[in-house]
Amino acid sequence: MSQADAAAPGSFPARARGGLLRQVVGGVVRRASDVSLVIYALALGGGLGLASADYATRGGYPFGGVAVGAWTAWPRTGSVGSDPYARAVNARRGEVPLAVGEGMLLTAAEDNTGRALDATCSYTVSGRTPPARAWTLTIAGRGARDPGRPLLREGFTSTEVLREADGRFVVAINPEVQPGNWLPMPRPTGPVRLALRLYDTPVAASAGSIERAALPAITRLGCRT
Amino acid sequence: MSPRGRFLLATLCGLVLAGLVHIAVVLAIPTFSEADALSRARTGASLDHAMRVHTLATGSEPAPAEAWLPIPDPAVAVGICAYDLNEGPLRVSARTGPLMLSLAVHGRRGAFYAVTDQAAVRGGLDLVVLTRAQYDEVLANEDENEVSRDVRIVAPEREGYVVVRVIAGLPSQRAGANEAVQAVSCTVDTEEEETKPGG
Repeated sequence: MSQADAAAPGSFPARARGGLLRQVVGGVVRRASDVSLVIYALALGGGLGLASADYATRGGYPFGGVAVGAWTAWPRTGSVGSDPYARAVNARRGEVPLAVGEGMLLTAAEDNTGRALDATCSYTVSGRTPPARAWTLTIAGRGARDPGRPLLREGFTSTEVLREADGRFVVAINPEVQPGNWLPMPRPTGPVRLALRLYDTPVAASAGSIERAALPAITRLGCRT
Repeated sequence: MSPRGRFLLATLCGLVLAGLVHIAVVLAIPTFSEADALSRARTGASLDHAMRVHTLATGSEPAPAEAWLPIPDPAVAVGICAYDLNEGPLRVSARTGPLMLSLAVHGRRGAFYAVTDQAAVRGGLDLVVLTRAQYDEVLANEDENEVSRDVRIVAPEREGYVVVRVIAGLPSQRAGANEAVQAVSCTVDTEEEETKPGG
């Protein structure tokens, strides 16, 4: 818009380096016929509309999550009341989301202090989960898996995790072997994400009322430099 | 109108058009997508059993490549039955075992019903998905002295799919979870009354 402003009649003679560009744009704007302006508007509308729709429905859900501490709960992505963006994302990825009566998905891409989860760092995920018949805690990196890397373990289920005497658990996410509940990093570098899936849980219907303390805390221990 | 004004007007029209295109495209994606669960479930419609969508890796056998879920849960076996109620009501029968099992009925707009094995009666879970007209017909033909254990769900749309999830809490239960998904049967409920003489 600023170029069009500056390229108004009377901007001659060209002064700076940008002057030539302004002249050209100004000349195009002045000589543009109705037809070319219509084509310009259609191209702008079509291009911007398609690009923004693609951007909004690529990857994860753009909105609809409930942030609880480091976690984000996605209670409605699979139900009839899901928003059009969630439906479009599901359709593009071929995702089969969890229904409200079935369970709920929680994801985390940051630790408790808001720093992004990174594969070169080590973390502990400790605490307890909201009431559920079963849950699974899984870790994944972005993109396809490296086929050359042996897959030791991707996650823990509520049955197999080792617990303290009071029912709490500590999962150590670390590139190196650890005692206890060791969850290896899925890749050497890059961002990673945690997913906590609660199955047959009553909290899916009231995700907004989950307390921060009811979810496991994600603590960064240190990073490899 | 000055050339600049015309250019600005065209830009403004383009931006408004972009908004309309954005909304239309987002709303149209689920209808035209060929990668969504319903389209894939329909192409792979196996006969009477749930189609395996995510088979768990067991022992030395890795998970097969048929898995198309983007980020599957490595401890949950998933199967899908696509249904088209124009062919008749869909009956989903599941036997409950030691593993936790859940059934969810999805339409085009999302899941409208879900049930877990805790609702099973005598170790069996019988789900019948039907349209409003088929539901009325079943009610009219029902024998009042006969107790039905079916859970009847009226579907808002005629097409959709049923998702079976079986959770394997331990790696040793994964083979059992795969079998439990495979054991769920999805059949079209035919009208038995019509074949009976004298109805």
